[in-house]
Amino acid sequence: MSEHIKTRPDHVLEDPGAKAVASLYARSYLSAARENGFDGADEELTSFVDDVLANHPEFRELLVSDFVSRDAKLGVVERSLAPHCSEFFANFLKVLVRHGRIGLIEQIRSVVTLVREELAGQQRVQVRSAKPLSDHSRGQVWEQLKNKLGFDPILQESVDESLIGGLIIQVGDTVYDSSLRTRLKSLAGRLTERTLNEIQSGRDRFSHPEGD
Amino acid sequence: MKFKADEIASVIQKEIEDFRGQIQTAEVGRVIEVGDGIARCTGLSTAMAGEMLEFPNGIRGLAFNLEENSVGVVILGDYLKITEGDEVKSTGALLSVPVGDAMLGRVVDPLGNPMDGKGPIMTTETRPVEHEAVGVAGRQPVKVPLQTGIKAVDAMTPIGRGQRELIIGDRKTGKTAVALDTILNQKGTGVKCVYVACGQRSASIAGVVEVLREHGALDYTIVVASSSADPAPLQYIAPYSGAAMAEHFMYNGQDTLVVYDDLSKQAIAYRQLSLLMRRPPGREAFPGDVFYCHSRLLERAVKLSDELGGGSMTALPIIETLEGEVSAYIPTNVISITDGQIYLEPDLFWKGIRPAINVGISVSRVGGNAQTKGMKKIAGSLRLDLAAFRELEAFAQLGTELDKATQQQLDRGYRMVELLKQPQYQPLHVADQVIVIYAGARGYFDKVPVNEVQETEKELLSFIESEHSEMRDQLIEQAELTADVEAGLKTALEAFRARMASK
Repeated sequence: MSEHIKTRPDHVLEDPGAKAVASLYARSYLSAARENGFDGADEELTSFVDDVLANHPEFRELLVSDFVSRDAKLGVVERSLAPHCSEFFANFLKVLVRHGRIGLIEQIRSVVTLVREELAGQQRVQVRSAKPLSDHSRGQVWEQLKNKLGFDPILQESVDESLIGGLIIQVGDTVYDSSLRTRLKSLAGRLTERTLNEIQSGRDRFSHPEGD
Repeated sequence: MKFKADEIASVIQKEIEDFRGQIQTAEVGRVIEVGDGIARCTGLSTAMAGEMLEFPNGIRGLAFNLEENSVGVVILGDYLKITEGDEVKSTGALLSVPVGDAMLGRVVDPLGNPMDGKGPIMTTETRPVEHEAVGVAGRQPVKVPLQTGIKAVDAMTPIGRGQRELIIGDRKTGKTAVALDTILNQKGTGVKCVYVACGQRSASIAGVVEVLREHGALDYTIVVASSSADPAPLQYIAPYSGAAMAEHFMYNGQDTLVVYDDLSKQAIAYRQLSLLMRRPPGREAFPGDVFYCHSRLLERAVKLSDELGGGSMTALPIIETLEGEVSAYIPTNVISITDGQIYLEPDLFWKGIRPAINVGISVSRVGGNAQTKGMKKIAGSLRLDLAAFRELEAFAQLGTELDKATQQQLDRGYRMVELLKQPQYQPLHVADQVIVIYAGARGYFDKVPVNEVQETEKELLSFIESEHSEMRDQLIEQAELTADVEAGLKTALEAFRARMASK
């Protein structure tokens, strides 16, 4: 089997189109599981991605590769996976293979995790600070966010010294910026704006009064 | 004068004391692809079409394509400083430019940033770059002339305030010169001018600025400059910025003139953007909405109704054709949008007929409404006379013997063509134009050798100014060729003819 052909270099961020498709599959997967009263959907998917695909990259390659026909892939799923997993999950894999979307399985997994968190009243919040947060301030941030946002935040912390001080908190696409860096920048902008008159008159000393 | 360092320090101190940093809230996204002046971003789920976005380093962008999973952004600045993964912030504001009296006399880029080294522009007012044109009820007919100072234009293709007159022609036929003369002629009339350079060589732009400055026209003119070295997005928005700056004066009841030099380059910049954004190409690979791109721009030229202050914006778009091909896509589009066109021809230009206006196919759909009564009276038959002359001229080249009447018509035609020639940067007052054209049409130049007509014209004008200035003043005041004025003009011309004969 030849190597998988890469169409997107690794350093490029995820394809937004693929993400949208993955989200659709993830939501359908979870709602189908709920309707069928199947509890282990999330666990089974996680285990498949982490234990099977991650440990056997050749197997992943086989499923994803364009050189293997769909029928052959379906056969592989049927023979090697179906006996070891639930019928529901096997069906899901077959749907993915049939639609040529099996390559999105990792993304589907990550969306499934997010959706599950959402259903449990949680949401991820990125917190950037100049110094690592202490337990006390972390608790305060968590408390404040919970009160303001109305859900349980899952804090994802990162440290960025260029902020100088303060926090940048991102919830979804919205950013709340109270960092010292941004405040200083806006102060600088206001200062130049307000003092333009003075700057202008200072400059005019050197030009002809009647203009050039 | 003392440098007010203390004052500056106290202002700064006060500002710092009063400063209460507030938490800034913004919608953000991430750049997933960047290059050639455009970027594709994820996130920004609430971005509006045409909203201003901010990249790191303060570079601004414009939300151009709103797609299902991403936003296509045109970058108004140096796109090489933006990298993949950068954060993009929405600002919640539409793209706008500074406007006001402080802009006059300045050379700015399409975002309104000064580029003439004269320091910051002291204005607090801004206007959105894209603005909807006034509706039908807000307009009134174009009736007041906008004098270009060019005999051939004011006599045969008159331009009114609020009109859109296209200047079209091949390269090097004097398109910019016609527009510049028009700007120069607005001196002392209160008309504010905006010259938009779009996709031109920086050297040409510098040349234009120099001409305006030399003739004292920069005091009432704003130059919006985007050279061919600027990224396509800047070239694309330059005309809209210029229109916004003129609109400010227009809505304050003033008359304005905007020159878009030139719209074919703007269309090419827009084509580049659209193709990079993967919008489907149409004829000549231009996107389907290139017509709308120009029509919405030129629709903003208007004569406002008195309720809205009666201001006006006259637009002189310029289109460059290739080998006289007016039936190409962009020229036909703009011809159909405008209220007439001034057509410049290389053949005429090289024959020495400058401005090289082909009077046969140049038209102004506003017509005589936009002429003073005096000019209307004498210029009425000029176009037809010239057409008849050209027909005869072609016939006469066959070398046939001509009767006396025909010969006379030919002779007068040659002299009228000479009279309509005019050197660059020397716009004529409308009264002088009336005098000269009247003299030519009534045969006062018939005895002057063809190669001396221009010289004699100059002498005539200085003769009138020195010895019959009261008649000229009367003509200016009444703007009409009344029997009284005409009699005075005839007397003056007879006196001049007698003087020339005695020389």
